[in-house]
Amino acid sequence: MEKQTKQQIAFWIFRIFAWCVVALLLGILYFIFSRGWRTISWEFLTSIPEDGMTKGGIYPAIIGTLCLVGGSMIFAFPIGLLAGIYINEYAKDNWFKRFIKLMTNNLAGIPSIVFGLFGMALFVKKLNFGDSILAGSLTLGLLALPVVIRVTEEALLAVENSFRQGSLALGATKLQTIRKVVLPIATPNIITGLILAIGRVSGETAPILFTVAAYFLPQLPTSVFDQVMALPYHLYVISTSGTNITASRDMAYGTALVLVMIVLLLNLLANALRRYFSNRVKMN
Amino acid sequence: MRMIETKNVQLYYGDFHALKDISMQIESNTVTALIGPSGCGKSTYLRLFNRMNDLIDNVRIEGDVLVEGRDIYGKGLGMRIDELRKKVGMVFQKPNPFPKSIFENVAYGLRVNGIKNKDYIEERVETSLKQSALWNEVKDKLNKSAFELSGGQQQRLCIARALANEPSVLLMDEPASALDPISTAKIEELIYELKEKYTIIIVTHNMQQAGRVSDKTAFFYLGELIEYDTTPHIFTNPTDSRTQAYVTGRFG
Repeated sequence: MEKQTKQQIAFWIFRIFAWCVVALLLGILYFIFSRGWRTISWEFLTSIPEDGMTKGGIYPAIIGTLCLVGGSMIFAFPIGLLAGIYINEYAKDNWFKRFIKLMTNNLAGIPSIVFGLFGMALFVKKLNFGDSILAGSLTLGLLALPVVIRVTEEALLAVENSFRQGSLALGATKLQTIRKVVLPIATPNIITGLILAIGRVSGETAPILFTVAAYFLPQLPTSVFDQVMALPYHLYVISTSGTNITASRDMAYGTALVLVMIVLLLNLLANALRRYFSNRVKMN
Repeated sequence: MRMIETKNVQLYYGDFHALKDISMQIESNTVTALIGPSGCGKSTYLRLFNRMNDLIDNVRIEGDVLVEGRDIYGKGLGMRIDELRKKVGMVFQKPNPFPKSIFENVAYGLRVNGIKNKDYIEERVETSLKQSALWNEVKDKLNKSAFELSGGQQQRLCIARALANEPSVLLMDEPASALDPISTAKIEELIYELKEKYTIIIVTHNMQQAGRVSDKTAFFYLGELIEYDTTPHIFTNPTDSRTQAYVTGRFG
């Protein structure tokens, strides 16, 4: 066979598989949109569920998910960022560093239901936080931690060493170099990763199952020790164990659509922030 | 005046003996070229003087390195590393301006060394940019990103950045190897002018360049200092046959 023909065939195989990925995503989005968009209304977004969760809205679940995502990031972001900086900038390349990296990767691979059990045992029972936003946020934070660490690490690794050397050669300390040169360059990538972590956390059901999520709770939380409803769990409830599953079918697709929209918006935000920071980093 | 002196310096990267018993003296206000084939140790030798080798794991250094008569690797009475790096500036092979404005690039060394006086910083930035022959090209866009400059301009910005700290020594690690011939000529011209005020040590692979800019030349081979003499002597009448072979292009 001519090598040009081979090249054409290979090219088309790659192209077809790339299209498959796009088609799959569009297919899922179409499925959710076509079934869910009629349910979406201002009222749906801002009122509480009614009639055994077959009518009304999902306001408490939206607020609950926002609380949990925010809480988990307050916990996971600073710790993950500092750990990532340590691993990439300070730790010498020895067995200890390799051990930390191995453990971080293993942590990322643990099924989320295990995080849920662990969170229940530690935060709900042992530390006596009860089923609460605090316990749920910490559990989700644990889940997000390895993602944040790895993203930070990779963002720092992508910063060319010549920048570090240039800064050190001018008499800057390592800390000054990291703060004034390395971190600003890495910020766009760190933010992208952070928002992807948020996207992951906002869709998790298993970790909040035993630690915070309420089956039905019509009022908003007043403290971090309150339970909340959350979108993914609400979706699970009204599609599998609600009072009337057939009657709440529309609500389920509406909830799914809201969840998907939140994740899509976060990804778009990640892109916008990334562009903003990579422009700004050249300037400040 | 003797600016830099090394006495019986040995340097090891793990088991690899990279510098073998190097003793050498460098006078102030001279340009010294370090030449030799790749991997001969010349860049490693250059990085002794601002302790950039310290950044590499498993590096071991023996012997004395003196800058202005002070032992820079000694403990106690030696020189603090940030003080040393202010005194001994460095320009790298590839221009590496920070992703900051032109002004902030030059001000960086002052800021990290604790200088806050705005007027003084502005004055130092202007002086340094004039010294590196960049001022006329950038004076109207000091707040623009350094990345908007051409490669040659970026390299002169990096020279200005090093000069802002008012160093005594300027280390240049193949400063023109990534630049076009016109930018290279500008850098060489600059080296000639800067000699008035600074002691310059330059690593280069370009024999013509070493011949044009330097007063003295040191030839390194396999981690050893083979020959160190005035540049005309090294290029026209070297003592060692290996030097002869290298400068005439028979290996390298």
